[in-house]
Amino acid sequence: MGMILLGLRNLFRNKLRLMIVVLLLATPLFLLLAMQSIADAVSRQTTTLMQDVNTVLQLRARGSMGHINMIAQDRILPHSVLDKVRGIEHVVHVEPYLLAMAPITPPNFVMHVGLAPGAVKRLESHGEAGNPRIIAGRDFTPEDAGKDVAIIGQGYAAWAGIKPEDMGRATLTVDTTRTHPVIYALDRPKRTLTVIGMYASGYVFGDLQLFMPIDTFRSLYGSKEGISWIFARVDSVDNVATVAQRLRETVGDVADILVPQNAAVFTATTSRAVIRLAWIGGVLAFALMSLVVFFVLLMQVRERAREIGTLKAIGASNGAVSAQFLTEAVALTIVSGALGLLIFRLAGEAVTGRLFAMGIGPFLPAHYKPLFESLSVGSHLSGSVLLLVVLVAVAAAALGSAYGVRRLVKLSPLEAMRHE
Amino acid sequence: MNKPAPLVELRDLWKSYRKGSETIDAVAGIDLDLPERGMVAIVGPSGSGKSTLLHVIGAMDRPTRGSVRVAGRNLGDIPQGELTRFRREVVGFVFQTFNLIPNLTAVENVALPMEFSGVARAARASRAKALLERVDLGQRARHRPNELSGGEMQRVAIARALANEPPVVLADEPTGNLDSATGRLIYELLQAIARERTVVVVTHSEELARLADRVLHLRDGRLSNAAHDHSAREARSGA
Repeated sequence: MGMILLGLRNLFRNKLRLMIVVLLLATPLFLLLAMQSIADAVSRQTTTLMQDVNTVLQLRARGSMGHINMIAQDRILPHSVLDKVRGIEHVVHVEPYLLAMAPITPPNFVMHVGLAPGAVKRLESHGEAGNPRIIAGRDFTPEDAGKDVAIIGQGYAAWAGIKPEDMGRATLTVDTTRTHPVIYALDRPKRTLTVIGMYASGYVFGDLQLFMPIDTFRSLYGSKEGISWIFARVDSVDNVATVAQRLRETVGDVADILVPQNAAVFTATTSRAVIRLAWIGGVLAFALMSLVVFFVLLMQVRERAREIGTLKAIGASNGAVSAQFLTEAVALTIVSGALGLLIFRLAGEAVTGRLFAMGIGPFLPAHYKPLFESLSVGSHLSGSVLLLVVLVAVAAAALGSAYGVRRLVKLSPLEAMRHE
Repeated sequence: MNKPAPLVELRDLWKSYRKGSETIDAVAGIDLDLPERGMVAIVGPSGSGKSTLLHVIGAMDRPTRGSVRVAGRNLGDIPQGELTRFRREVVGFVFQTFNLIPNLTAVENVALPMEFSGVARAARASRAKALLERVDLGQRARHRPNELSGGEMQRVAIARALANEPPVVLADEPTGNLDSATGRLIYELLQAIARERTVVVVTHSEELARLADRVLHLRDGRLSNAAHDHSAREARSGA
């Protein structure tokens, strides 16, 4: 107990020495915390990016575009496909669509799309071209299922003379008998739909669609069975290839499967590389911190060889000397850790941002740079990371100190005093 | 009546060092008996083996061959752990450079060997204080080494050497870092201590050595024939 107290008191024997050692230890601890923080932020950012990666597969009848009124009506997917897709592991969401092409002032066409209220409004053949967003009126709600309501693209609305301010009052009559010569007309009664919303997609052809609830579409076009498109969302980019393979095995005889494989694979592999890069930085900082702490404490013991020799000469046992120096090492590391953490809290955000820009930024693929420019590297770390850092630092300090002390206490007092 | 066994008994004692390919015999076949009380000065030129001899007697270093028996213990036989106990209980060491623990006060430095011996806190505090009084440093008990003069530091070191009441005190050039007047005071203190135990002092100074009861001359690791026994001389002249 006495030697432990002596070890604690030794911390403050020389304030300048204490300051230098604490700074020596606090600096790598701070760098480690900064690198861990960067790795954490990069990991979060990349995970978010991976979530946004297109993991949606499209299915449509083999060799068709899925239009129910185009040349061969039977070229749509049988309804049973929907249940089969839903039953595949890793498929987390399935959206069925029905499509019909309709002529407007020749030679233009518009697309009528039936979808579940709440499903993504997809643009026919131009899925990557833009994302429809409501610019007037309102979006579908679950209550709209089966009702004669529609959301119109701004290009289609301009042709039909419907203005944004007319939403909820304007109507559009769908005549399924009007068609282009290469398209079979359907002998169905006309139907008037109330236009409740208007969208814009940022793409001129994308703005020529009319969305309506799928049940409304079915009754309008008399299509009780069959599906034009199925969009299936996979839970992770890692599982896209597996799900695609399962789909080919299950429904490949009737469906073409469009897989966003290249983008998914690229994003997955690049994201993993970025995460790995950041974590390698973190691990290197961890190793650096451990080495610095180990050697600082080792040197600190070695410079006090004479004191160890004296203690032995006046009767201290090896255990007592070791206890004193180990206590001192652990206390010193805890004080340094606290200082490192304090600096991290005060300056972590600014310094880690710079460290990221200098250390990780240059290695990022060009594709990722804009995404990471706004990376928010905060001065926050989880309790478990902090605990791990403290434990490793204390272990490194104890090892460095114990190694140095062990070598010296094994010597005779005289040899220890003369040790250099 | 049998003659009492000597407190320190050296027989054919050798201590050799390797220096490159050369072997240097710092102590070369010394036979020596020292009694239970009195002050013995070991003098000789630099490199004559004085300090080495002292270190071997104090179990600070192991002999190459020969036997060292101190207070009935043969240092050649006892294991490492027992040597620690020996250094704690049988010898008190005084160094030329004082070797005080810098962040401890004078009284704490004196109490430290007693802590290693397991003496209770109150007992060691009171004894440490008494020892400091004895070396006339009662008023400086709470001072740290860097607040003491050289002479004061050496007196604290002497008090520390006496902490566990060892039968032997070994002093290696205890005045080497002090001016002559302070050095003389330290010798007088050691002389007083030698009335109740054996004090072995290594010194360069023939003048100070004359204060010892016995002077041993060492040259090239061997005792010369010119050893003086002042106590015997004084006893004779007194008669």
